[in-house]
Formats: sequence, C-alpha cells, structure tokens
Amino acid sequence: MPAASSIRVLVVDDQLTMRALVRSALQQIGFSDVSEAPDGEEGLKTLIAKGCQLVISDYNMPKMDGLDFLRAIRSHEPTRKTAFIMLTGRSDKELVQRAIQYGVNNYIAKPFTTVGLKQKIEAVFGALT
Amino acid sequence: MDPMDAIKVTFFQECDEQLAELESGLMALEAGEGDRETVNAVFRAVHSVKGGAGAFGFEDLVKFSHTFETVLDLMRSDKLAISADAMHVMLRASDVLADLVHAARDGGSVDQGRCDALMEELDQLAHGDAAPAPSAAAPEGDAPLYADVEPDEWGFVPLRVVMDDEPPVGEEAWKIIFMPRAQLYAKGSDATILLRELALLGDCEIEVDDTLVPSLDTLDANGACLSWTIILHGDKDEAAIREIFEFVEGDCDLIIERTSVSAAAPEPPPVFAPAPVIAAAPIAAAPAPTPVAKQATAPSAAAASDSEGKGGQPAANATIRVDLERVDRLIDLVGELVINQAMLAQRVAETGVARSSNVALGLDELEQLTRELQDSVMAIRAQPVKSVFQRMPRLVREIATATNKQVRLVMDGEGTEVDKTVIERLSDPITHMLRNAVDHGLESTQDRIDAGKPAEGTIRLAALHRSGRIVIEVSDDGRGINRERVRAKAIEKGLISPDVNMTDEEIDNIIFLPGFSTASAISDISGRGVGMDVVKRSIQALGGRISITSNPGKGSTFTLSLPLTLAVLDGMVVSAADQTLIAPLTTIIETLQPKAGEVRRLGPNRSVIAVRDAFVPLVDVGVALGFRKEAAQPDSCVVLLVESEGGGRAALLVDDIQGQRQVVIKSLEANYQRVEGIAAATILGDGRVALILDVDGLIAQRVSETRAETQLAKAG
Repeated sequence: MPAASSIRVLVVDDQLTMRALVRSALQQIGFSDVSEAPDGEEGLKTLIAKGCQLVISDYNMPKMDGLDFLRAIRSHEPTRKTAFIMLTGRSDKELVQRAIQYGVNNYIAKPFTTVGLKQKIEAVFGALT
Repeated sequence: MDPMDAIKVTFFQECDEQLAELESGLMALEAGEGDRETVNAVFRAVHSVKGGAGAFGFEDLVKFSHTFETVLDLMRSDKLAISADAMHVMLRASDVLADLVHAARDGGSVDQGRCDALMEELDQLAHGDAAPAPSAAAPEGDAPLYADVEPDEWGFVPLRVVMDDEPPVGEEAWKIIFMPRAQLYAKGSDATILLRELALLGDCEIEVDDTLVPSLDTLDANGACLSWTIILHGDKDEAAIREIFEFVEGDCDLIIERTSVSAAAPEPPPVFAPAPVIAAAPIAAAPAPTPVAKQATAPSAAAASDSEGKGGQPAANATIRVDLERVDRLIDLVGELVINQAMLAQRVAETGVARSSNVALGLDELEQLTRELQDSVMAIRAQPVKSVFQRMPRLVREIATATNKQVRLVMDGEGTEVDKTVIERLSDPITHMLRNAVDHGLESTQDRIDAGKPAEGTIRLAALHRSGRIVIEVSDDGRGINRERVRAKAIEKGLISPDVNMTDEEIDNIIFLPGFSTASAISDISGRGVGMDVVKRSIQALGGRISITSNPGKGSTFTLSLPLTLAVLDGMVVSAADQTLIAPLTTIIETLQPKAGEVRRLGPNRSVIAVRDAFVPLVDVGVALGFRKEAAQPDSCVVLLVESEGGGRAALLVDDIQGQRQVVIKSLEANYQRVEGIAAATILGDGRVALILDVDGLIAQRVSETRAETQLAKAG
C-alpha cells in the first residue's frame, strides 16, 4: 500500500485552471509533492528533473500533445516506467484506444471528481494510504 | 478565498485569453491565412473553455461549447471545409460564447434566442456537410457533470504498477565509475552518447559527481571535471560494458565492479512491475527530443549540478502578474524622484560648485540613472494595443450586420506598445471611428457594385510608432468625403463663412467642428448624439491629435496620434514675461536668434518672421497667454520654430531658453481647469509650477486669427 504522500506527481495541462483543479484534487487525496508543466516539452524536462512516479496529463496541448508526451516518456529509459494517467474528454474513445497502444496506465474523463480521480489512481497503484 | 473560488478566477482569466485566441484564429482562417495549427488552436480554445466550465458546472456554457467544439473537430479532421460562410457562423458563435462566459462570470443572462439559433446553425454545419456527429457526443449536456466512475464501456483495463518501498535486498548489479579525461573530449568523444548506450543494456541509475568543478573564474573550458557513477542492474556481461568504452579506454578512468545495490542509491526509484495486460511494453517510437538523462547532457557545463537541484525546474513562464496599483505607486514614486533629483541638481548648482567637481559629476550620474529608472518603470506599464484591437472585430461585425454591409476588418500593428493609461482611453475613439467608417465611410453593397468596387468593403485598423508617439489609423475604401456637401452644410450651419477659400484638407477636417453632422437622419450606429468633435476633444485632452484625409471615391483615413505616455515629457524650459514655461521637445524643429530685419509686422499685433525662404507666423508667447500686453522686441528674444501634428508651423517668441529637462506631467484640468494654449503643468526643480505649452493649440489659434484677418483685409 503506497502512501500518497510518497508519490511525486506531475500535472501537465496547458490550462492553468485545469492544473489548479487537478492539483487541488490531488492534495485532497493526500499527495503533497505535485509539480506542474504547461505542455509535453516542459513536462518531460520537469519529469526528468524531479523524477516523478505519476504523470497526469491532458491530451490537447500545444507543442507536444498528450499522446506524443506519453510516447516520449515510454521511449526514454529513465522515464519509461512512469505511471501515466491521461485526462480526456467524455467521448474520446479513439484517443483512449491510441493511448492504450502507447502504454497509458489509466485515463480519466473531464469533468472529474476527487473521488473519481482517487479511484483512477488507485487502479494503477493499489489502495493509497 | 475558497481555493475553488480562486481557481474560478483563474478560469475566467484564461477564458478571456482563450476567447481572444479563438477570435483571432477564426479571423485568420476566414482570411485564408490559417494553417492546421490555427485550426488546432481554435479547437483547443473552445475545448478548454468547455473543460473548465464542466468542472464548475456552468451547464449552458458546456452545452454551447460542446456544440461548437463538435463543428471545430470536424474541421480539424478535414470532414468540414473551411468556408467563408462557416467562418461567419463561427465568428458569431464565438461572440455568443464570450457572452456566455461573461454571463457565467458576472451572473447575468444571455440572449437565449440568439444562443439557440446559433446552436442550430452550428448543428447544421456539423450535419450538413459531414457525416452525422458521433452519437456519443450528443447527450453530454444531460450526463451528470460529477459522475464518479464511468462504466468502462471501452473495455479498458487499467495498467498496474507496483511501488516497492524497499529496494530488493542483495540484488547484484554492476557499478561503473566513469571518469573522462580532457583528451576524451578533445578527440570529439561524447560522454552523453556513452551513457546513453550504457542505458540500453539495462536499468541504470546514473549519478554525476561534480565535486571537481571549480568556480567559474578558474574553470578550464577544455578540461574534464565531471565523472559519473552508474549502477547498472541486471546481469549483463562485463564484456558488453567494456565494449561500450572500447574506443575511449585510454582517455578515461574506468572502474567496473560487481556490487550489491541494497543502499547504493540515495533514493532508489520505484521499480515497476511490467503489467501483464499489455505485452508490448516500450513503444518503438520516434526518438524523443530531450536527452536521455539530464545528468549526462553537458560534460563541460558546471551548471549541470545546479539544474539538478531542487530549483532545477525551468521557469515555464517568465512573467508575473502584478497589481496595477503597485505599478502606479512605483511610477508616482519615480516621478517624485525625478522632481527631487532636479531640485537637488538646482540646489547644488546654486552653491556654485564647479561642473567638474565630484558632487556635480555624481549628480550627472544620478540624473542618468533616474532617467533609466523612469524609462524602465514606464516600460512595465507599456502594453500592446492588442487588448483594445481584439474587441473591434466583433464591433465591426455587429455594425456590418446592422447596416447590412459586407465588411472585412484588417488589423495591423497589434503588438505596438503604449502606456496602459493611453490604452484604456483608446477604446472609445477607435470604436467611434470604426462605427463612422462602416456607417458613413462605406457605401451600401449595391452602390459599391455599381461603382465597380468589390462588394465587400475593407476597413483597416493599424497602430504604429512615429516620432515618439503612437499613431492609430482607421481607413476605409468607401466613398470618401463629399466635400461639396460638407462645405455646403458647414456654411448652412454658420460654421464657416461662404466666401472662405479652403484647401481640401481643411474641408475634410470640418467634420471635427462642434455642431457638425452630415447624416441627414441621425443614424442609430454612429449617431448617438456624439459627433466627431467630441472624439477630437477627448483625444486632445490626452495630448493627442486627430485628422482625416480623404480621397473621393477611394476612401478616407482617420489618423489619431497620442503620446506614448501621459506621465513624462521631454521639454525645453523657456522664459517669457518672467514666467517659466515648457515647450514639448518633440514639437520643436529648431531655435533661432531673430535679426531685426527678418520680422515683418502685419498689423498692430501680428507679425511674421522670415525663416530661410518662407514666412512663418510669429507668436509672442507672453502676449498669447496674457502675461504681457506689448509684444517684446524680437531681436532681444529667442524664437522656437515649432510644427504641429497637422504640419502647420509657427515661430514662438520667448525671452530666453533656460535648458532642456524631462518633466513630470501634472494635469492642469484635473487640478484647476482647461486653459487655451496650455497643455498641462509640471513642477520644476525649485518647486515652482511651470506651464507646458500646447503648441498645436497656439498654432491653431494663430492660424484662425490670421485667416480672419485675411478675410477682413479682403473685405476692406
């Protein structure tokens, strides 16, 4: 049972609003080490610098979108095993299927709740303490 | 503030940015300038609004943006063509979206009929040209916004990772210590590549040792200061490791040994168990653009350790938001500092200290620094005019619809920067000029076609910097000013006398006279009881000028110019009739010492001065402002040759020039009242108030007097 506080999380979204919402939900769940990045490129840099174990990323972003970001993470040795949860729209079946191919760990549709997010994370890490 | 409320504030701020991006993107597409990234950006803008709106439960906003997004998605996937018609619908949809956002923010309501009508139009766009929208997209508005868990109808099974809190005990691994010597780099080898190859052999923990990096001033750029310790998990052959270093073996120190990794790494990364669900674990994808490991990127960079530290996250966005009040306070203080510095300089000068003394030199330096400080502070307040410009396309669309004209708005120079206070006051005049251009400037569509012009009228809104001022131009390709009609109207209203000879330019500028309006019926659009004279006055109050040039049948151009800042001014300090006055430096062309023969008297109080080949009206500033009755003797005075915005020239006669100085503008109107011929006031170094001359005002005053005199002379 991993402790939420021991997992370093990176939230990637081009919208400050969405990053703030995810961060706020994560903090309620018990995560304390939460970093943010506005796009995949910055996300990758932050991920490597901070060594986060969980990435929660939007799909639709300028520069490098969520899928390319996921691919980049999976093709880098140091980041290859980072857990990746994709934020998607409610009807993005095609996107989710492509993300599965690239090795996404889970996805969550927007809008989400704190409880919903927790369940999605626990489905990846097991029950959190 | 409740954290959610704080996020909501952020959301609405971001919405404004998104809406601006949406509109400019749509306009670029409409003009045929957009590319794929524009379509993506437009989609993203609406998508983001929807995402945030969903989180805060603004259901109307979610519903509308969803419909909008559906159409944009079709466009993004090339299922819907980018046509002018589609863009018109979308531009109007973006207006409605803006209304919805503002309604959500301010708690107001929107025109539901308009909203529904546009939803319908968007739906038609989506279904007309393309296959029916995916059914999954439709019922979103009905779906509970806070659904806790989605049933996974897509058969997705989450991919588990296992976090091992304890590193596996006693696991055998290779410990490789790699210490390149300078010659390794000299021979063109790259430590990064070696480390990268090593990482291909198995899981690596790479640690850089930067203890040998000296301080920057003693750093030998060609030296080798970094070394690496690599823990390579797994039981690869030692030979495989040695093979990687084969070509650099003589150029580095290499230690390879078996080790147990129980506590080798200070903070072991979690080890994830590959999930059984997906067999193909790493995707063979395009190489990612960033280096494998930051530790291994820059062998010579002493900064490597720095960027790995806690503060290593690169600044994503090097801007901060600051309360405007704080900036204003800073500007006020710097203004006071400028005055204080001037006072100090004067006091010191009065003590008779030599110019070359240390005190005087120090003061010179202080003045230089103060000026730089002031410029920098002013730059903080400078903003691109975009914030005003971006509201205009919507305005033009609405007027075009109301007047049943086809109008294209072209904008230029949106990045032009100007002081924030100026920006705020640009909005009204620009709005008025644009209304005027669409309503009066452009002909009706039929008239345009009859005149052999394109049915669609073009209006250009441009901003540019010109000689220390910002210039805004609004031009149309309409009918131009009907000078006969304007002149007749002006005579009829008694604004000008029937037998005055006027240049075309002068006739055009009659429209700025108070009480003038050519529209036979006051139009709903640009009428509103406000004439161009009000626009002109409000611009003059800012130290600005406005003029119009017109080309019959081809169109008209309004030119508005304003100072870049309303806070400071470079001025020439002069004295006239024992008063100290400031003449704005930008208006002065040259100064001269008149000789007696150059001045010709035209009447008791009128004279002109010969400046090279031309005669220029001479204005005795002391008399014009009422400081003295009798004109001064020109040959004991100094003349400032000045030019107004409109190009009119005059020679201002003053007693003496005291010097040149940057002065802080204090509004005379706000503290006293408007005075003809005076633009503002300032505080001098000795604490006295000095008036700043309104050069344009003085010239205009003189020109009209001269004209009246000419008329009198003709009549007599």
